[in-house]
Amino acid sequence: MVTPDRFERQSFLGWNAQEQIATCIVGVVGLGGGGSHIIQQLAHIGFKRYVIYDDDTVEDSNLNRLVGGTTVDEKSHSPKLLIARRTIFGLQSDAEVEGLSVKWQEQPEPLRRCHLVFGCVDSYRGRQELEIAMRRYLINYIDIGMDVHGTDAPLISGQVILSTPGGPCMKCLGFLTDEKLQEEAMKYGKAGSRPQVVWPNGVLASSAVGLAVELVTNWTRRARAYEYLVYDGNKGVVNQSITMRNRTQHNCPHFSLNDVGDPVFLEI
Amino acid sequence: MIELRIPRSLFQEMIDDLERTHPFAMERVGFVYGKMGSIGSDATLALLCRYHHIPDDQYLEDDTVGARIGEAAMSQAMRDLYDGHSHRLCIFHVHIHGNHGEPRMSRTDSRELPPMMPGFQSTSRNGAHGILILSADHAAAWVWLPKEKESRRATRIVVVGAPMEIFEGGKTW
Repeated sequence: MVTPDRFERQSFLGWNAQEQIATCIVGVVGLGGGGSHIIQQLAHIGFKRYVIYDDDTVEDSNLNRLVGGTTVDEKSHSPKLLIARRTIFGLQSDAEVEGLSVKWQEQPEPLRRCHLVFGCVDSYRGRQELEIAMRRYLINYIDIGMDVHGTDAPLISGQVILSTPGGPCMKCLGFLTDEKLQEEAMKYGKAGSRPQVVWPNGVLASSAVGLAVELVTNWTRRARAYEYLVYDGNKGVVNQSITMRNRTQHNCPHFSLNDVGDPVFLEI
Repeated sequence: MIELRIPRSLFQEMIDDLERTHPFAMERVGFVYGKMGSIGSDATLALLCRYHHIPDDQYLEDDTVGARIGEAAMSQAMRDLYDGHSHRLCIFHVHIHGNHGEPRMSRTDSRELPPMMPGFQSTSRNGAHGILILSADHAAAWVWLPKEKESRRATRIVVVGAPMEIFEGGKTW
């Protein structure tokens, strides 16, 4: 039972903000380092309708960053879905959670019910596929990801991208490029076992959730239709990408609003 | 469950057009086209993607209704629908009620608009068609699903983009 003053400290979000938040169906694809942070924050904020995807179980190597994961989960090979459900129901006992222990491409229909989806996937190809689906079904999309470059003097970097139908996409914003996709394809689409640590994921997840709350409640009165934030983990700062500052076009040449809905097979 | 989704830019385009005064009609009307999306056996998604505004000279003078459109406007809508029928094109008649709160069909709306639906259904059999009414702070839609003779109320209408808005029946935001 949610007490009346549960959300008192966030009442500045607007008189009807909690209702908007509770009505919105959110999707989270990938419930590892980034997704587990996002789930925790969404549940605290008061989101109640979830569609979540992860086909993985908790391993020892996850526990350096999987929020909510414990050594007991590792020993019992708990699905990451279970950790997410536990976090959500621990804060929102009346939440509606549809958890799918498959890759989203295997069961895409539940994801299409969402109004806002967080992509917490490893590969560029995975991000591209998600964004294509989001555009086709008119869903707001927020992508997060982090990486560590080099070993002698490691550099931590990351990004948070908001992509909404009609606005610039991840290609427009210069994040997804043919070169990156080709390079990844040369490695058979595998992103590899990239280094991951908890605190950059926390920064990125918080920034992503901030964008989501702004989108849903419009508490700033100037909700952004697109955004590209870059994280410099060595300096500990998040800045707007330079490609955003140089952008003059606010639409997208890659996705037409006419290309929505189920693909249709036509007789020739 | 029936849900309509409208990109923010399209939603704004509709409002900007429908709020303009007409030389003689009391209000403006338009058509918005969409495509179908599968989200499960118990649910229908209509994804609205294109607005068709009615030129001033395609309205007819008629004091008994807020706006009446002529044959040219209807023919154009039916042509568009026919051209898109293989893509399961949907069409919604759209207009604005100037008040606040959840819109309801007026007596005139109930009399004048549903008779358009059989024509839409026979032209694009696999699309969902209907009536979309916007108010100052809400929206409601009545949807005729393929092969259904009676309308159903849309469960929710979602404006996608920034800011997002979700209009659900019985809720005031």
